[in-house]
Amino acid sequence: MSSQPVEPDVHTPAGGAAAVRIEGLWKRFGEHVAVAGVDLELPAGRFVGLVGPNGAGKTTTLSMVTGLLRPDSGTVRISGHDVWADPVSVKARIGVLPEGLRLFERLSGRELLLYTGQLRGLSKAETERRAGQLLDVLDLSASQHKLVVDYSTGMRKKIGLAAALLHNPEVLFLDEPFEGVDPVSAQTIRGVLERYTGSGATVVFSSHVMELVESLCDWVAVMAAGRIRAQGPVSEVRGEASSLQEAFLELVGAGERGSGHELDWLGGTADVATAAPAAAATPDPTGPNPAAADGGSR
Amino acid sequence: MKPAADRESTDPTATGAAPADGTPAPSAPETPAGPQSPSVAAPAPAGARAVPSGPAVTGTMVRLKWSLLANGLQQSAGRTAAFVTAAVLAVVVGGLLLLGLLAMRGRVNADALAVFLTATTALGWAVLPLFAGGGDETLDPGRMAMLPLRPRPLLAALTASSLIGVGPLFTLLLALGCTLALAHGAAGALVGVLAVPLVLLTCVALARAVATANSRMLASRKGKDLALLSGLMIAFGMQAVNLGLQQIGDQGGLGALRPYSDVLRWLPPASAVEAVRAAGAGEYALAALGLATTALALLALLWWWLRSLTRLMVDPDSSTIQPAQDKTRKPSGDSAQRGLGRLLPEGRTAVVIERTLRYAWRDPKTKTAWATSIGLGLLMPFITSGSVYSACWVAGMMGLLMYNQFGQDTSAFWMVAATISDRRDAYVELRARSLAIALITVPFTVVVVVVSAARLDDWGRLAPALGIALAVAGVLVGLGAVSSAYHPYSIPQDSGYRNVAPGQGALAYLSFLLGAVVGALLCLPLIVLLAVLSDGGAAATWVLLPLGVVYGTAVAYGGLRVAAARTADRLPEILSAVSKG
Repeated sequence: MSSQPVEPDVHTPAGGAAAVRIEGLWKRFGEHVAVAGVDLELPAGRFVGLVGPNGAGKTTTLSMVTGLLRPDSGTVRISGHDVWADPVSVKARIGVLPEGLRLFERLSGRELLLYTGQLRGLSKAETERRAGQLLDVLDLSASQHKLVVDYSTGMRKKIGLAAALLHNPEVLFLDEPFEGVDPVSAQTIRGVLERYTGSGATVVFSSHVMELVESLCDWVAVMAAGRIRAQGPVSEVRGEASSLQEAFLELVGAGERGSGHELDWLGGTADVATAAPAAAATPDPTGPNPAAADGGSR
Repeated sequence: MKPAADRESTDPTATGAAPADGTPAPSAPETPAGPQSPSVAAPAPAGARAVPSGPAVTGTMVRLKWSLLANGLQQSAGRTAAFVTAAVLAVVVGGLLLLGLLAMRGRVNADALAVFLTATTALGWAVLPLFAGGGDETLDPGRMAMLPLRPRPLLAALTASSLIGVGPLFTLLLALGCTLALAHGAAGALVGVLAVPLVLLTCVALARAVATANSRMLASRKGKDLALLSGLMIAFGMQAVNLGLQQIGDQGGLGALRPYSDVLRWLPPASAVEAVRAAGAGEYALAALGLATTALALLALLWWWLRSLTRLMVDPDSSTIQPAQDKTRKPSGDSAQRGLGRLLPEGRTAVVIERTLRYAWRDPKTKTAWATSIGLGLLMPFITSGSVYSACWVAGMMGLLMYNQFGQDTSAFWMVAATISDRRDAYVELRARSLAIALITVPFTVVVVVVSAARLDDWGRLAPALGIALAVAGVLVGLGAVSSAYHPYSIPQDSGYRNVAPGQGALAYLSFLLGAVVGALLCLPLIVLLAVLSDGGAAATWVLLPLGVVYGTAVAYGGLRVAAARTADRLPEILSAVSKG
């Protein structure tokens, strides 16, 4: 029952075709330019990572791509359909898990899924079937009658993911799906997403945990200060660097700042001062690592 | 205060809460504690760690409370204004009460009034922490848990710091007034000197004990929900006061309080006030009993507070413990909703109606709005009695619920926006929301109008009143939908009082004002028709019932259509407007 929660019934993955095509995307908030001319072409059927430091414009970009924020200029096409000109075709094809927006939290997890499924036009019986399976696979069955407002961060991300997957979209957009998520939930989410891309669907997710992106994605776009700095298969973006993290720091221009000499009093003895910050360099690949984006340790 | 050894060893002269850099005013409780906290891990000589003495802790806590008050005032102009208003109000009201009680000195019902006021104030202190939780940081024992403090000195320190504030000032004025009104002779004065601090301490200890005993609950989601309902509680409280004053007025004076005060004077802390009167009257045994009752109550409260405090500081926070998971639990509890869900057809309409009604019950802000509409709708016809037509208030109040629909969703509106692709979707969404409101409004309005007609025995006006009421509801639903689409604004979710996010106030009030004016204009034809028909005799006015229903439905339909078009075109703009709360 739980082996096939989502049936790939609407996917028509054309090999090599672009799932998402973004051209000249701009967004200003007053004086601040959040997204400064983004051009992106994300291949279908891939696991795509959108990486960048905080404030790079990832969330703004994803909001515009999913129709939740109107761009100042530029076009976004999903499977060939313009997001702003043809919302009927686009909204049925995408699933979204935004960051920083609430859910209908006074519904229980199960009620939230039944509500979302029927808003998406699924029949009640079909919604119930899919919701039950998703709750099972995401390990939420025991909490399905609890109000979402009482959920932990990891459970919220999982119920949000379930709501986004319910109508079996072609392209799934996830904004920081692993932020604040414990390793067990992260592994569960990861498993579901891998199965989902395995069926030919596309996942686009933003993150600043480089190890996670490197191990999960086969395509990556690096964003900084509202622009795309690099895009392509992970191996290509990594290039000569030993890891994606290193290549990323190079690309976004983070220097050797904070190597630790100012904090030479920190730690038990003075000479271990430079080693102390590096202790954070072996995080759980699926867990959140807030230090990674600051790039201080390498 | 020298709670930590490393501090003591480097700065043996430090005795106050001021941090080493000399900053006089710590901005948060952590500040005085801050330098000490890492001392647990710091390589300090063993055995040198001291536990601060009682008076030192008391001094620190009092200074801390003072700093918190002062820094809170520096934080924002709004907070300063609120505090100054509260302080001025407390001084003015407290002062007026004091003067009033002084004027009552020697009058017949002075004791009844004094006892009643004291008991009411104590009740206020008991419920205050439940609705105003989190206002005072020195109150949160969780913040002290990491400090090397013993419960008893901490209790004394917290009591002392609790005496600083607007509430204690008001209570002091009141207790002073009650005592001065009743104290006669040397014995009365002597008991009065004891009674004033007893009343004040009992009130403060009561509030603290209640807050500490419920601190886990108050910090949880349920506690925060309760705090969000405080606006509603205050509204109902004021209504109770209003009715009480009316009763006093009706029954010709303070004698109306007598039955209550006869019971309350045996209860602490009012028994201390009663003791003052008894001492003045020479009933010394009664005076001793009254004082003893309050003193015992104070001790009991302190004991209860101490016990909760100790438990709170040593027990693990249960919020981090995983609840026992119960897979077998059936989806019970919402059987009524399930019944409703079964009655409705499948699709957006049904789930949106279900969600709207669930929110009216489960979401504190939405619940407040619904309860206000229903409560005022019930109250208005009775306050402005005299005509069956005043029952139209009900429909008006209920219709207001349709305003700012998307603001009520908060940023969760994205879930709706993500599923609206065209005007049809937007129309179905808005129609379902208005149907949910109608589902409650229509039967409720019918009942209130019929009850009004029965109460006034004016059955002739039943049909036209019902017709106009339903038309008003329809007009407001239509206008509310339009307003929701054209002037969405955020509803802050963290405050029980504010219903508009900062910066959007003008927008909200203008749209409300505009809605009221346009609504009145739209209802005008029916009112004119009523006037014309009434001239020709009451018999003809029944046509207003079907007319009103048709008219209201038509306006609602038109409003929904206009709103749907706008909503579908402006989804991102609406989302950003409602996401500021």
